[in-house]
Amino acid sequence: MSLLELKNVSKIYGELKALDNVSLHVDQGEWVAIMGPSGSGKSTMMNIIGCMDKPTTGEVLLDGVDISKESSKHLTDIRRDKIGLIFQQFHMVNYLTAVENVMVSQYYHSMPDENEALEALGRVGLRERAKHLPSQLSGGEQQRVCVARALINHPELILADEPTGNLDEANENIVLDLFAQLHKEGTTLIVVTHDPEVAEAAQRTIVLEHGRIAREVINENFGK
Amino acid sequence: MTKRKMFLRMVTSSLLRRRSRMLIALLSIAIGATILAGLVTIYVDVPRQMGAQFRSYGANMLLLPGEEGELNREKLNEALAEIPGDSLVGAAPYRYVRLDMTTRQQSFTAAATDFTQIVKTSPYFSVEGAYPSETRQVLVGKEIAETIGVHNGSTMELTYQPTVVSDGKTPEESRVAGATLSGKAEGFSGGMVYVTAVLDDAAKIASLTVDASTQTPEYGGQIPEAEAYLNQFIGKSLPLAGGDVDTFTGATVTSDAVVAALNQATAISSPAQPRTLNFTVTGILTTGGEEEGYIFMSLEDMELMTGTDHLDVAELSVSASAEQLEEYTAAITEKTGVRARLVKRVARSEAAVLEKLTALVFLVTLVVLLLTLICVSTTMMAVVSERRREIGLRKALGASDGSIRAEFLGEGLFLGLLGGILGAILGFIFAQVVSVNVFGSSITFQPLLVPAAVLVSMIIAAASCLLPIKRAVAIDPAIVLKGE
Repeated sequence: MSLLELKNVSKIYGELKALDNVSLHVDQGEWVAIMGPSGSGKSTMMNIIGCMDKPTTGEVLLDGVDISKESSKHLTDIRRDKIGLIFQQFHMVNYLTAVENVMVSQYYHSMPDENEALEALGRVGLRERAKHLPSQLSGGEQQRVCVARALINHPELILADEPTGNLDEANENIVLDLFAQLHKEGTTLIVVTHDPEVAEAAQRTIVLEHGRIAREVINENFGK
Repeated sequence: MTKRKMFLRMVTSSLLRRRSRMLIALLSIAIGATILAGLVTIYVDVPRQMGAQFRSYGANMLLLPGEEGELNREKLNEALAEIPGDSLVGAAPYRYVRLDMTTRQQSFTAAATDFTQIVKTSPYFSVEGAYPSETRQVLVGKEIAETIGVHNGSTMELTYQPTVVSDGKTPEESRVAGATLSGKAEGFSGGMVYVTAVLDDAAKIASLTVDASTQTPEYGGQIPEAEAYLNQFIGKSLPLAGGDVDTFTGATVTSDAVVAALNQATAISSPAQPRTLNFTVTGILTTGGEEEGYIFMSLEDMELMTGTDHLDVAELSVSASAEQLEEYTAAITEKTGVRARLVKRVARSEAAVLEKLTALVFLVTLVVLLLTLICVSTTMMAVVSERRREIGLRKALGASDGSIRAEFLGEGLFLGLLGGILGAILGFIFAQVVSVNVFGSSITFQPLLVPAAVLVSMIIAAASCLLPIKRAVAIDPAIVLKGE
């Protein structure tokens, strides 16, 4: 069953075609990696999938809804309800503790629940670091808090932008293991990266070049 | 945990955990609230403060003898009862009498008063030496002191030469040694003839003047200059009998009128024993005004010399608004018959100064509020750009524009609350310091000022946030994705 579908999507900034007639299909529960050099259109694609930008032309169907025509207010609602975001720079609210950062996501989504938030932190192995401020956490720990924050509202799609870009190998592995777990639980994952190792962890890799899909690689070793 | 609790947790954490920047905003609000609370406190207290201040410029109410009845100490106390005790700063009674200085054959105006009150009603009096504290002591005006060459510790003899006005006396009672008599009688064709006679030590006529201007100029009208005729009266006793004096030739009717007038004449003054007291000078008074030409003594001494407790005027210093002063004067005039009036010059300038001061305080408050608004707004603007990523993140996590607005407004209101409380406390201290240093008196705490200061601070803080919030709402959530 298809969760996300891009149909002939283009995004044009003046002369520049950031995305040029891209079509993509992601099934429910699939784990997809998007690779490509800088300027290949990864970020633009991510913005569009993440409901933070709209394509110039083409259709984007998320869970059956065409998000390319929605108002930005509606896009906010859709993003909040369906998407969990993970960023390269971690992006935590620096004056809130780890558990409070997770609760911020609950706050905007529905109702803050400290126990549930602590449980989510437990899942990423940070139960005992819940009361720490971001400045007291290592980069890897911060990113794990962000993973907990992304999954707290049980989104249908987790969208990760270079999630391991600022992490050492040990933390990268922890994050990838968490992704694998989420995948097992049926969460759809789209991971933008230029780290081949991260891409190899996914079922399928889409390679973007100059705003187009250059090739698609199926990971035959997936799950082994 | 409820949404509201989480909201409060986020808002307060933002302020309490990110101290530096918010401290500046808090400080500017607190300073604004301090000035505001301080000025309002002073403003509320100013009429009282300035009232006391104005009182140092002298009396603002006068009490004078009414149409009927005179002013004396009893009447004065009756009148003062109409003014609330805490409003009455002082009331100095005055009685002015000409006294002779026996040793120099000169006379001066003596002012009898209450020295304990003068200090309050005329604080600008400058005394070299001391105010008299006992009877038989005088304060001498500088001008007199220079003229007669007295200094502190000098003694001076002052004599009261009484002029007893004798009204209601019959002609018989009036004919005593030293008396001055006057009388009138109808002369030729209805015109009146007036006479004035002074009696000698034996109560015989010592001198006589006649006013016969209503009589025929060639006949009776000649009498006032007719020495031979007038001289026959000198040495005669009153009343005159038929053949005592000859008639003036050609003016029998007028001559008869002169005799009749003399026989009916009553005293306009009769002599009394002069009274002399010996005084010690305790101080020389400098005022720059007419007071320098007076000798000041106690009311008791004056009463002893003159035998009456009559007062000419009382100068009052009353601390009250223009309306209240009007009320007091009306009440005194109506109830006691003492004529009360305001010294308009003083009352008006008080009102004018108060009005200007009020306008000034208002203006300064307005400017301070405006500056606070600008300062907080600028700080919040900086805060928004500093927190662009966080705002972007919140939006990416699904915060609506409304949530972003509510969070920043919440922070602003929280800042306003803290700043307002801080400002109300500091403002009172500020007002106290200003009051003590400028007005020399402490002020009363206005409890209502705390909620007022907090409310105004919160409004200012909220208003300051409007533009920064607009900025915050416009931030694109996509900024968090660009891996910069």
